[in-house]
Amino acid sequence: MARFRLQVVLSQAQGKHPAKRALEEAIVAALLVEPGIETAVIPHLYDLDAQHPGRLCLEGIKGDMVMLSWLYSRAAFWLLDRDGVKGREGQICLKPPSEDEEEVEPPKGIGSLNPPDRFIYCLDLRESDKHEDYMAEIRRIAAECRERADAKANAPMMVDLGVKVNGEAGNGSQFSPAKLLQTPGRRWHPVIDYSRCTNCMECIDFCLFGVYGVDDQQRILVDQQDNCKKGCPACSRVCPEHAIMFPEYKTPAIAGAPVGGIESLKIDLTKLFGGTDAINIAAQERDRELVADGRAAVGLSVGIPKRQADKADEPKDDLDKLMDQLDEFE
Amino acid sequence: MDQLTFLMGKYAAVLPKDRRYCRNHMWCVAEADGNRFGFTAYAVRLMQDVYFLDWSVNVGDHLQALGPIGHIETSKATADLFAPIAGTLTTINNELLADPSKINLECYGEGWLFEMTGDSGDALSPDDYYQFLEQNWEKTQRMLKGHM
Repeated sequence: MARFRLQVVLSQAQGKHPAKRALEEAIVAALLVEPGIETAVIPHLYDLDAQHPGRLCLEGIKGDMVMLSWLYSRAAFWLLDRDGVKGREGQICLKPPSEDEEEVEPPKGIGSLNPPDRFIYCLDLRESDKHEDYMAEIRRIAAECRERADAKANAPMMVDLGVKVNGEAGNGSQFSPAKLLQTPGRRWHPVIDYSRCTNCMECIDFCLFGVYGVDDQQRILVDQQDNCKKGCPACSRVCPEHAIMFPEYKTPAIAGAPVGGIESLKIDLTKLFGGTDAINIAAQERDRELVADGRAAVGLSVGIPKRQADKADEPKDDLDKLMDQLDEFE
Repeated sequence: MDQLTFLMGKYAAVLPKDRRYCRNHMWCVAEADGNRFGFTAYAVRLMQDVYFLDWSVNVGDHLQALGPIGHIETSKATADLFAPIAGTLTTINNELLADPSKINLECYGEGWLFEMTGDSGDALSPDDYYQFLEQNWEKTQRMLKGHM
């Protein structure tokens, strides 16, 4: 039986945070002596443009992959997807499942376009400050992947030409570590979570900077990433499905924090108590960028969705469930 | 006590009839030298257990209607808080800063928030506030969902 090797990629934090670097180094040191693991270290995933050796290294990995980064798991997964490093989302068990975890609803988004039959596991390096926790999870993932690979090898009539050869999980080794770690410039652009995106096109109507486009299947795409205005998360606020993430934004919900579990994210009741709503904030943020570009502010006159007037009869949503759960406490 | 009850799902939010209500879900009672404000049962129900309350304004400050005045964090929510009316802040219920749980226990009594002078003429009657809740309940659910 061919020897299975799992490719692990560690994406470094921006800057030189000593505690983060120390954790990264401890993990890499442990990975290097771990049997059955290939390791590559790249700079901060979000900052890699199409020409960076780190991107090319990632594109060369065809088998199952573990990505360790200082990004929320969702953000890292869909960032890779946008960069053409596609696969199926591997489930992470870094933390014990919380007691009142809800059943995850099947995603209603349009999903990734033709993801290959391999799994990508994205671990958020902020989940724990102990390298042992990550190593334990990587060993669990390696076992899971090995089992899947074995099952596949034993299955009759599986023809999978050129997609993956066991024992050649990746070819990160063709890039020297120094080349891989060339410091990229900082970038700022949205990342679409296609498990939530319904292709409603509100973002392309709203953004006036030409960031969004459509692919040849008429699917929404973050087309011109570097047209985006640094610090501006406005399109994320207008997305009705909360599918748009800015992985470096300070608000967890916009940066791609896990969603679904009611404990994971508190509701923002600011609007209820008299604050202005997300659409207004988004329009203000957009105006600021328009004016900075020497263009005229447009306020709420352009690309504001006529939202949600007809959403009454949907199946139970998160709030319904939340309310039901609250009722059960009585 | 004479009261209305607004049904939030299966939960009944009580609205005492001895006071008036602001659209930012604070109740309002006229005092000798101003108005006392606190959260309605509706607001408390959505927030659940209050963990932390913080005011960004001080006694004596002149507040604009819906100007930011503080922040609250609860077991289920966070929110910035805004002045219900325009006027001068005269008293803050300092006991809540150390132990905000009174907001949950007695939102219409000892869990009051602050007092301020100013015209509270725009505050709604209990019946009108009930209608306001009814009209906005669907929208509120959608808004909340949007933040999940």
